[in-house]
Amino acid sequence: METKSIKRRDFLKITAAGTAVVGGLRLARGTAASETGDASPYKWAMVIDQAKCIGCGYCTLACRAQNDVAPQISWNRVMEAGKAGDKTIYLPRPCMHCENAPCVEVCMVKASYRRPDGIVMMDYDRCIGCRYCEVACPYSARAFNWEEFTEPNPAVPAWGTPQVDRRPRGVVEKCSFCYHRIDRGLALGMKPGIDVEATPACVVACPVGARMFGDLNDPESPVSKALAANPSYRLREDLGTSPRVYYLPAREESST
Amino acid sequence: MTAMRGRFRITPFMVWVGLLSVIMASGAVAGYIVFTQGLVVTNLTDLVPWGLWITIDLSAIAMSAGAFLLCAAVYLLGLKRFQPVAKTATFIGLIGYSMAVLTLLLDIGRPDRFWHALVFWNPHSLLWEVTMCVTLYFTVLMLESAPIFGRAAWLQQRWPRLAERLDSIHHYAPFLAIIGLGLSMLHQSSLGATYGVLKARPIWYRPDLSVLFMASAIAGGPSLTVLVSRLAGRLTRHAHVDEDLLDRLTYFIGWVLVGYLYFRFWDALSMTYTYQPGRTEGLELLTKGRLSFNFWAGEMLLGAAIPAVILLVPRLRRHALLQMLALALVVGGVVAYRWDVNMAGQLVVLTYLPHEISARYTQYVPSLVEFLSGAGIVAYGVLAVTLGVRYLNLVDHRQGEAVAEEVHLPAAAAAD
Repeated sequence: METKSIKRRDFLKITAAGTAVVGGLRLARGTAASETGDASPYKWAMVIDQAKCIGCGYCTLACRAQNDVAPQISWNRVMEAGKAGDKTIYLPRPCMHCENAPCVEVCMVKASYRRPDGIVMMDYDRCIGCRYCEVACPYSARAFNWEEFTEPNPAVPAWGTPQVDRRPRGVVEKCSFCYHRIDRGLALGMKPGIDVEATPACVVACPVGARMFGDLNDPESPVSKALAANPSYRLREDLGTSPRVYYLPAREESST
Repeated sequence: MTAMRGRFRITPFMVWVGLLSVIMASGAVAGYIVFTQGLVVTNLTDLVPWGLWITIDLSAIAMSAGAFLLCAAVYLLGLKRFQPVAKTATFIGLIGYSMAVLTLLLDIGRPDRFWHALVFWNPHSLLWEVTMCVTLYFTVLMLESAPIFGRAAWLQQRWPRLAERLDSIHHYAPFLAIIGLGLSMLHQSSLGATYGVLKARPIWYRPDLSVLFMASAIAGGPSLTVLVSRLAGRLTRHAHVDEDLLDRLTYFIGWVLVGYLYFRFWDALSMTYTYQPGRTEGLELLTKGRLSFNFWAGEMLLGAAIPAVILLVPRLRRHALLQMLALALVVGGVVAYRWDVNMAGQLVVLTYLPHEISARYTQYVPSLVEFLSGAGIVAYGVLAVTLGVRYLNLVDHRQGEAVAEEVHLPAAAAAD
């Protein structure tokens, strides 16, 4: 008898509470949507010209020094990707800063999030190290800190000095498009992609000018011009992730 | 066996508890190494970041599925005679969930930030949902288990008030069964979906995983419950089992296995239809490659087909030892399935090089520290259930007077 009346009354209570929770979730999702909505005047992108890349790896070293990345981790790997004629083609791979980033979708604490200007960020104070983003990223652009990085960074000072904090053990890290350089540069009235101080370290370090950076909203930016003048592709476009890193393919005639 | 009069004697119970304690102690040492040195002591990598611990976590959750099923059967479908089995299942669920929480604390890189999952919400993430389900359903299991503690004679003697309080929670059992059903089903299927939503790993990227995680848990959870009940009934005089009750439940498990095999068949067959990079290689890993023994023998033959036959043919099922073997095989099969799902998507990684999207193979064998800490957690679970059988009257299918006399006597005035 007693259980029945409790059941009925509490059933109403749980229904009300459930409705409130669902409503709350909808609100939460609503704010999440407006956060990722492109409310920024900028749309940062990188263009990598494979016809020019010689696979020297300077970009990786500059990135290591700039972002204080441990030797066993690479935010920016340079891989061999076949041949054009007798010339080896390379594929440098930073974070793709996807418009539909799987890592942002799966992160349970929103430690991975997307800024309105398109940079996919990591909140290292929030990450709990579950590594769901690692299995979700199609580009293997993420690295986990399996151990503490305590030694001096071998890339410093030859390739630059660290401008961001070293990540603690137990969190996932990745390329940030050197957001600190972009933000500081903008605050000083500079133009990322044009002014060296405001441009990602890998772009600045490239000795052959294979990397370009800039604002896709600005038709005069290096990236907009390069994409308008050349055929380009992005990695795994079939997945619909919409990367903000574009590649200009190397072709046999361009290898001379 | 347990006649303790006179001088001190070593009983099998003491040996068993001692053995489990040793495994737990070595697990604690391994756990300490993990917390002080970090996950570098594991054999996990950036390409295979989820390994043995995640398998133990998933298996512990699957084995807890008996709790929601039997509570729903008793309090929602009105199958009252299964109430004593629901009690066993609820306790196993409570221990299973605590095991899962322990493994997750080992596995996450920043265990000190475990609470972030409860404070910083991303409702879009399957792992957020899983975290919520673990937290809420663990709470439900604690409430559902409270009367088990409240009815323990030693608690009633020492703290009758507290015992009465705990016991009185059983009035909410139907209500808890409804919430438990929702949360637990959501949780079991979401664990499959956690893998199923990942586009980057084609062998995982399919909706079937949620259904199969659910179906296998419905087979595995009650199997463990019945197996524990039967083992307890044979090994200790503290347990009293009703053969007929358990027989019905095992028959049900037999049919669940048939349904599970049917879904598995369509799931596997649909993946063979056309070549898809990554997915086909993953499937071949299961059917012909490194995971093939585990797949064919562990999951299919021993884990589902043979136990289904044993549990559905009355003559075989009534053979007590054969039935227990079948139940143990089902449990093993579910664990093998969790391991295979987790590994199949990680041992094959798709490259992203343009014009040659191809599969690349990775390696993973758990390290000693992973094995020891994992074994420690399993030993904790086994010890908790052992102590539950011994001191909490966990397996007692006698209904009516006999039970009332023995269990309620010391605090009869307070409890009834």
